[in-house]
Amino acid sequence: MAMSDLQHGFDEAMISGYLDGELTQGEEQRLSLHLEICAGCRNMTDELRRFKEATMATEFRVPDDTQWDETPRGRGSGFLRNFGWLILLVWVVGTLGYGLWQVAIDVEDLFQVVIVFGLSLGFGLLFLSVLIDRLTTRKTDPYRRVQK
Amino acid sequence: MSAELPSHEGALVSLARDGESSAREELARHVGRSAYVFALQLTERPDTAVDVAQDSLLKFFQHLDRFDADRPIEPWLYQIVRNRVRDLMRRERVRRHESLDAWLEAGHPESADPSADPAANAERSDLGHRIWRAVSQLSQSHREIFVLRDHHDLSYREIAEVLSIPQGTVMSRLHAARKSLREILIAEGEARGGPPGRRGDGDE
Repeated sequence: MAMSDLQHGFDEAMISGYLDGELTQGEEQRLSLHLEICAGCRNMTDELRRFKEATMATEFRVPDDTQWDETPRGRGSGFLRNFGWLILLVWVVGTLGYGLWQVAIDVEDLFQVVIVFGLSLGFGLLFLSVLIDRLTTRKTDPYRRVQK
Repeated sequence: MSAELPSHEGALVSLARDGESSAREELARHVGRSAYVFALQLTERPDTAVDVAQDSLLKFFQHLDRFDADRPIEPWLYQIVRNRVRDLMRRERVRRHESLDAWLEAGHPESADPSADPAANAERSDLGHRIWRAVSQLSQSHREIFVLRDHHDLSYREIAEVLSIPQGTVMSRLHAARKSLREILIAEGEARGGPPGRRGDGDE
């Protein structure tokens, strides 16, 4: 117990508990009575209350919301992921382009036609289905109505 | 005060756990902002705070399935952030900025509640600036407990949970932090030739 506690007859930390509404009813009444007669404690209480209100009333600038990607990743893995997607895209475009060119110059080979057009059609349909799902979700998202 | 998580956070958590993309995005925004502000207050380094917030966000979502949606998010989130900051400071020797100017440029405190009285508003804003400069001079343990209570508005029980200390210790440590802050402001006020709060105290 600090010297000031001995002088006042109670734990001075209770002033903080009083400001924060964390005291029991009995403690609060006891401290209220003390504050009526002790100018020193009353001044400290008023001052700490003012500090608390000023602190609460401040706000900090935050970065753009794009920072809070749901699955944040480090710079290294992010770069590798983007590079990987780029390579994959180049491979798909190159392979399909080469296939289509081969088909164009040799329409006699039915197997090549099946492979190239089957692959193209498959990719196209998958892309279309994802696109339709995204558009449907955007229009009918039940969560939007709930939380906004 | 920092960006508060919405009152419907329990529903938000439940929807996010069910894979609702909008809920996950909304939750990520709130969690990211709160984590960033707390990390900034602990480190005073915006770049480090962004990294800490992103790491904390990742961990938050990794363990979301195990989280009780009926409980408030903040104590758990701030515990994650605090542990990450402590790890960084220990392993990578991250040190807080010594320069108070850097603190203000990086995260400039602004009045969140514009008062009808411009003079009172300006006075509060000025006091807010001086308080946050003084917070930079607090010890790490005092700074943690002060910002958790007086900026993030956590209860003593929640603070005890974040800091892993007995609930009975919270009040005494918080009061010590507030007294330290007051002493810093008094010293600063004396250096400036006035009292710590507003000029001409005693009218409250």
